Amino acid sequence: MKNPQDLPQTGPDIPDAILAERAGDGDVAAFETLARRHGPLMRAYARRLARSYEEADDVVQEALITAWRDIGSLQDGAAVKAWLMKIVGHRAVDTGRRRKVHDNLEDRPEAPDHTPGPAQSAVAGSARRALNAALARLPEEQRRCWVLREFGGQSYEEIAGTLGISAASVRGRLARARTTLVIEMEEWR
Amino acid sequence: MNPTQDCGRRIEDLSDYLDTGASPDAWHIENCPQCQARLAGLRSLSAAALDLMDSDVASADDAGWLDGMLANLRLETRAGRPIPLSGGPLDELTETEGAVIAMVRAVGDSLGGVLIGRCRLEGEVSTAGAPVEVRINVSARYGHPLPALADELRVAVIQELLLETELNVAAVHVAFTDIRPPLPAPPGSAGDGTREEGR
Repeated sequence: MKNPQDLPQTGPDIPDAILAERAGDGDVAAFETLARRHGPLMRAYARRLARSYEEADDVVQEALITAWRDIGSLQDGAAVKAWLMKIVGHRAVDTGRRRKVHDNLEDRPEAPDHTPGPAQSAVAGSARRALNAALARLPEEQRRCWVLREFGGQSYEEIAGTLGISAASVRGRLARARTTLVIEMEEWR
Repeated sequence: MNPTQDCGRRIEDLSDYLDTGASPDAWHIENCPQCQARLAGLRSLSAAALDLMDSDVASADDAGWLDGMLANLRLETRAGRPIPLSGGPLDELTETEGAVIAMVRAVGDSLGGVLIGRCRLEGEVSTAGAPVEVRINVSARYGHPLPALADELRVAVIQELLLETELNVAAVHVAFTDIRPPLPAPPGSAGDGTREEGR
């Protein structure tokens, strides 16, 4: 996979903007450096949005394929991290939608489901652990909004676009999610 | 302001205040014990969220997990437009724009002190002899004098393109879009920063 035109050096030093521009011009090594730099965040994000670790890895894989295909049209290379996260968010929501159709399940918007999320054992800090547990109890629709906002850094409008709902619904869901999470974390304390 | 009485502010209003640091209702929020308590709750929620994300990221990075994914990508290089080369009477030779841009990157990277970012060939590259301008974004290492670096890069790119292509290069435009801090000098060596002009 190494080509002569590939990056002569890799390292934490090379800015995202340069890597993104090179990747857009077809530099495979530059794209791989970006993937390694932001991959763990993309995967962590996908795990919070997906139903299982396996599904999350499928989401990341598909997101990387999309990213390589489209990175040439990314205007602002410095924004590549947010752009990658946006792709992951879209992919994860799409995958969830397809899974629902496939399972032929009724959409129960406000019913809590019990997505495992990252293993409890991996979450050591106490406030962190309380949040992890409270998140798992949130209705999926609220949790998604919250994760897209807090982990994905998406604006209300972007979340609305990703989920195909109105920005006002996003506001409402986020408010309900935050209210519940604050209360549950206070109860735990 | 009685803390046992609900002041009626919604969590959305407080979230907005927290996000932006401003609110038409700021005076109330800053002086209402109930709002202050809920703000404290929202702040610890944000802190816990950051903490959770950090620990998620750390546990998502087990060794080698990306290798398989990257191998599955089968990243194809980008061809771009065909650029004609004169061959024999029966040949129709071309090279791709992608290959030429890769060449420009390799030339720039080999100079030391610069990394090539985006490279564009402007003009009718598919028409033999048409004037073509090359535009290059460059990240330079701090300490290299930029005008000299730009000249060195221009000369090297033109030489390489003359050698390897039949493009009619009218100009090479170099834009320094990024400056990286100097490399720490390895112990016992003069380091990279010696080209920096003394004060």
